[in-house]
Amino acid sequence: MKSKIWKLMISLAILSLLITACGAPATEAPAATDAPTQPPATDAPSQPAATEAPAEAPIKIGASLPLTGDFSEPGSAAKKGYEVWVDVVNGSGGLLGRPVELVLYDNASDPDTAVADYERLITQDEVDLVVGPFSSRLVIPTSEVAAKYGYAFPEPAGGAPGVFDRGLTNIFFCQPAPSDQQAIPFADFVLGLPEDTRPKTFAVITNDDPFSVAVVESVEKLLVEGGLTLVLKETYPPDTQDFSSLAAKVADLDPDLLVGGTQFEDSVGQIKAYQQAGYQPRGAVFTTGPGLPTEFKEALGDGTEGVFAPISWFEASTTETNPEFVAAYHEKFGDEPIAEDSANAFTVGQVLQQAVENTQSVDNAVLIEEMHSATFTTVVGPLSFDEAGRPAGSYMVLQWQGDAYVIVAPDFAKQAEPAWPKPNW
Amino acid sequence: MTIPSFHLFIQTLILGVLVGGVYALMSSGLTLIFGVMRVINVAHGAILILGAFITYVLFQNFQIDPIVSIVITMPLLFGVGWLIQRYILSRIESPEQTSVLVTFALALIMEGILGAIFHTTIRSVKPDYATDAIILASYRFPVTRLMGFASALIVILCLNLILYYTNIGRAIRATMQDPRAAQLVGINVSKISAFAFALGVSTAAAGGSLLSMIYSFNPSSQTDWIAKTLSIIVLGGMGSLPGALVAALILGVMEQLTAIMITLYWSPIVFYFFLFITLIIRPQGLMGEIIREKG
Repeated sequence: MKSKIWKLMISLAILSLLITACGAPATEAPAATDAPTQPPATDAPSQPAATEAPAEAPIKIGASLPLTGDFSEPGSAAKKGYEVWVDVVNGSGGLLGRPVELVLYDNASDPDTAVADYERLITQDEVDLVVGPFSSRLVIPTSEVAAKYGYAFPEPAGGAPGVFDRGLTNIFFCQPAPSDQQAIPFADFVLGLPEDTRPKTFAVITNDDPFSVAVVESVEKLLVEGGLTLVLKETYPPDTQDFSSLAAKVADLDPDLLVGGTQFEDSVGQIKAYQQAGYQPRGAVFTTGPGLPTEFKEALGDGTEGVFAPISWFEASTTETNPEFVAAYHEKFGDEPIAEDSANAFTVGQVLQQAVENTQSVDNAVLIEEMHSATFTTVVGPLSFDEAGRPAGSYMVLQWQGDAYVIVAPDFAKQAEPAWPKPNW
Repeated sequence: MTIPSFHLFIQTLILGVLVGGVYALMSSGLTLIFGVMRVINVAHGAILILGAFITYVLFQNFQIDPIVSIVITMPLLFGVGWLIQRYILSRIESPEQTSVLVTFALALIMEGILGAIFHTTIRSVKPDYATDAIILASYRFPVTRLMGFASALIVILCLNLILYYTNIGRAIRATMQDPRAAQLVGINVSKISAFAFALGVSTAAAGGSLLSMIYSFNPSSQTDWIAKTLSIIVLGGMGSLPGALVAALILGVMEQLTAIMITLYWSPIVFYFFLFITLIIRPQGLMGEIIREKG
């Protein structure tokens, strides 16, 4: 009995050695023609080694996105952005004449899984390039993995200060400005209101997420400096569902302005609770949530009225390449409105593409250098990066008016006059 | 720690009592099942979420109000509970010990199936009155919570009527007190167990219907709810219905008060805090009895 087990174990060990030995060179060979969402690991050993024509081998680009879990809505939107970009690139002859293939994993919004995914993408799938996941919470740990292997890490949604202050030089945050500057245009708008309608008190209600906290704290600082009084600041765990008592507390203090540091679900949860508590502020801004055009309306109905949010991009924007992106998106996914996160992911692709084309290289060291020096044409406008990967640019301010949102500030993107004080929700 | 204004304090008490009523309904089935069968139904949270999803489907497809859908979810899951007891739980040996594993497996299976159908998107049922509130002397009673509280009370009342004024209820209580003696006086204990388990599951279904309009949920929310309901019945005394009611109200109020006086960050911890305190100071709970291990 015992010897049988030993034999089994030894043969298993030999088998696994054989598999890894075959697997290693095989990854150079083209694995599949169609970009698979889950890379078929078992396909690889069937073809031992690439014999010729490496020019035709696809450029593999790896990503791990939160397709399930807390960030599933924005994560899925980012996936669509990457997919549209791959289609556009392959439709126009690929990168350096090679087709582009996206290797994608679902990290279930879990940082540990995301880290393991990028390790696997780089060491086992041997992708040529990687692009980032959604949100600072996942970008911070995964960018370390990319840095360890010398990979450039352009990413669509990690802009908290914690992303940039670790001395890494491979991060490129592909939005107009870092998170802590996102809501500055909103703070400017509030402080620019005439004396008699300007709010005097405000509350900050934020979930404990590096991104949300970074945004609301920069707004808080500006508003306090501008003479407003902070009457309440509350931080809650990211999975909070019951906001009723918190809303009662806010209603009791009745601040003129509400600053919410939110992802999607909690922006909805907060607003519903404020409606039940009868709290009607003069203005309310939420960091993420209101920017999701369909989901936010579906979740809240009339509760969206007058809500402000910072936004990096909007569909009707006429920046260079944006109309082409919008058309390609609708061709692939139908008439649904495009989420900001899809555009940010597409921007990542654009930056990567232009860096590769400018340098005629997929060497990550060369690309990192190029990304630090060049200015890229993207759907959110011209984008360049400082030494830590912070982009230089300005966010816009949206406000929900009726069935959709419009851009109400700053002047360069303004579509409509802001409604202030905001109508009741 | 902040001292709330009197108005806010009362308002928070109101919210706590309303949510406590719903907690009471959610945990009554769990304590009933334990009382009759000495089985801890770890799948209780999953059944709550199953009830919530059925309510969600009924609302999305047929615009059936979540309160009305209780009439559908309760009998439906009564049947499911009966089948689980008859064909799974009654067949395992020494259910007192192994039932935790079996019902845990059931919970994982249910979560997996719900996940395959509904994915992890967070959902909630939104009737027209979802954001309305009734104002009474400047205090606000959110309509969903008020209706949830009222429905919970009605279901708990019916449960008590069944337990105290019907033959089957008397048989259930006799079985709770001493299964062997109950069998001696001619009660079919295995049938009574199946009935009690199904009854417990069906109250969870009603709880799930109410949950669907008060909270948002996805398949993995079940773990939060089994933790909450278990803490409630431990505090109340395992197997004690009045205990569960009192404990649910206490924990509901404490949870809300913690949110306004300390921080919302700490309110989920209230349940575990009370769980530990109970186990250390009074393991039999507020109204439970001390059970001696059978020799």
